[in-house]
Amino acid sequence: MNPHIDWRNTFPKIVACILAAPALIVPLLTDNPATLSTMILSGIWAVVAMGFTLILWTGQFSLGQAAFMAIGGYTSGILSARLGWPFWPSFLTAGLVSGAVACAVGAVVLRVGGFYFSIITLALGEIVRIIAMQWQSVTRGTRGLVAYPPEAISLGFIKIDFEATPVPYYYFMIVLVAVTGLIYWRIGKSRLGGTFFSVAINPMLAEHQGIHLMKFRVMAFTVAGVFTGLAGSFYAHFLQAVTPYMLGIPESIQVMIMSIVGGVSSLVAGPIIGSVVLYNLSQFLQRAGSDLQTSGFVLEGIQPLVFGGAVVCILLFLPRGSGLIDLWTRFWKRVYKEVDFYELPEDLEEETNTH
Amino acid sequence: MALLEIRGITKNFGMLKALDDVNVNVEQGDVLGIVGPNGSGKTTLINVISGFYQPTKGGIFLDGKNIAGLRPDQITARGIGRTFQSNVMYEGLTVIQSMLVSSLLQYKTGSWKAFFGTRTYREEHERVVGRVLEILRLLDLFNDTFIAADKLSYGYQRMLGIAIALAANPKILMLDEPTTGMNYEEAMFVVENIRKLRDQGITVLMIEHNMKVVTNVATNVVVLNFGTKIAEGPPHVVMNNKDVIEAYLGTENFGANN
Repeated sequence: MNPHIDWRNTFPKIVACILAAPALIVPLLTDNPATLSTMILSGIWAVVAMGFTLILWTGQFSLGQAAFMAIGGYTSGILSARLGWPFWPSFLTAGLVSGAVACAVGAVVLRVGGFYFSIITLALGEIVRIIAMQWQSVTRGTRGLVAYPPEAISLGFIKIDFEATPVPYYYFMIVLVAVTGLIYWRIGKSRLGGTFFSVAINPMLAEHQGIHLMKFRVMAFTVAGVFTGLAGSFYAHFLQAVTPYMLGIPESIQVMIMSIVGGVSSLVAGPIIGSVVLYNLSQFLQRAGSDLQTSGFVLEGIQPLVFGGAVVCILLFLPRGSGLIDLWTRFWKRVYKEVDFYELPEDLEEETNTH
Repeated sequence: MALLEIRGITKNFGMLKALDDVNVNVEQGDVLGIVGPNGSGKTTLINVISGFYQPTKGGIFLDGKNIAGLRPDQITARGIGRTFQSNVMYEGLTVIQSMLVSSLLQYKTGSWKAFFGTRTYREEHERVVGRVLEILRLLDLFNDTFIAADKLSYGYQRMLGIAIALAANPKILMLDEPTTGMNYEEAMFVVENIRKLRDQGITVLMIEHNMKVVTNVATNVVVLNFGTKIAEGPPHVVMNNKDVIEAYLGTENFGANN
């Protein structure tokens, strides 16, 4: 065994990659547009949930992430449908605009922080919706905008056509989740992650160590805003419509629940697991519900019930805030007790272990 | 001109005058003891200097520049660090994590370089880790580097509080009751370290109730009572001051002949 690899940490990651690899070939395994659509939407929600978790890592509860999706969706919808921009510039601008709004709002609202911040983010969803409804000249109000699929991409002899099947959307989602995940993961692992954490768990102490609280709170809120805006733009172009009612408070809460169920201690894997599990579960139950409906059973409002129930279960059984990811971590702790890995202790750990 | 000049600081909380026209000068290299009965405004004074409270009136001059009104993080960046009376910790973090997270001021590289993990950042990070470990070694916390901070004994938790404050590279270190809850040996260990810090050029302000500690290490002492300064001078002079004794013990004749 190579003594320079920290097997204790690396092996679980290798296993995780192997388990996640099938995601890359899902379109080869199924033709069902409903399945692909569910996976695509899970991915979009995962990106948004990662943003929620990042904001939570600075100690703030944002109940308005759906608003930033809406801002992203409308920005790219307006740019592409009303101003004739091609998809890719609209998509990227949507992210920037959403980030800019997050920065501006955050600079003001994060000063009060805490409870008031959460209430205001909740209101943000409503404010965006009202603006979308009233600013008819730009957003076409309740009629909404049509968000055209991205233009076909020609790479040599391969033409990626977004209009024919959801498959290109699927791979676009994979890329979006991978890039966003990589960036969030890097933030978490770097000095920034530690700083965010200290701002969350003891702002007074962090402040006295020279950490400018507002700077880091706004930073997290803005980064989350950018990627949530991108997710929102993708959402709109996938559903090929953007209306005032499609993203509001229920969606913001859904995002929060996905993050909590997946595990808030994880910035990337947690939100992904939370959103994949919950979204698939709710879609499955919805379909089962409509099947049952034909035989007289009505399963209205199953989705909130599932989501609420999931949170309660997670909080009861995996209370250390680590959600489903905790099962993974605990599994590996158990494994290490049984299996003998060649551990290369840091010299430091040996040196300091004089107890 | 003194390193730190506290001029006419008044701090009111509504009708309560927590500090009333306090004037203190601190020279570079001093170890200033701040003593007084409970409720006399000692911690409030530290809070005002550190920027946690805004003074109602007055100014605080560091190297001649007024720092009153700045945020705590700005004041710490200018070289004034502090510990807390109730020993605040980062829940759930180990000793080394608590230190690294508190060492932001030791870095010159900004957030972007840290995010990308550039070579300048990584070199600086190694140096910072080295310095942090030195601080831990100094305060006898090296053996606990990977231990969760909340699992340390009380005395070591207080030492960690001091270590965290040192991680911010302060020129002036304000300690709020550093030896409270310690036995004689632990208290003398703290005194040892305060001497070492002074030898390294750090100026120390120290709120203390333990007179042995004060007489052992303080160069001068300031006594507060009900928010005002009632005495000032070298420790042995101040200890024998009539007003000071009265403030702590009450008037000698009260109740005796009545």
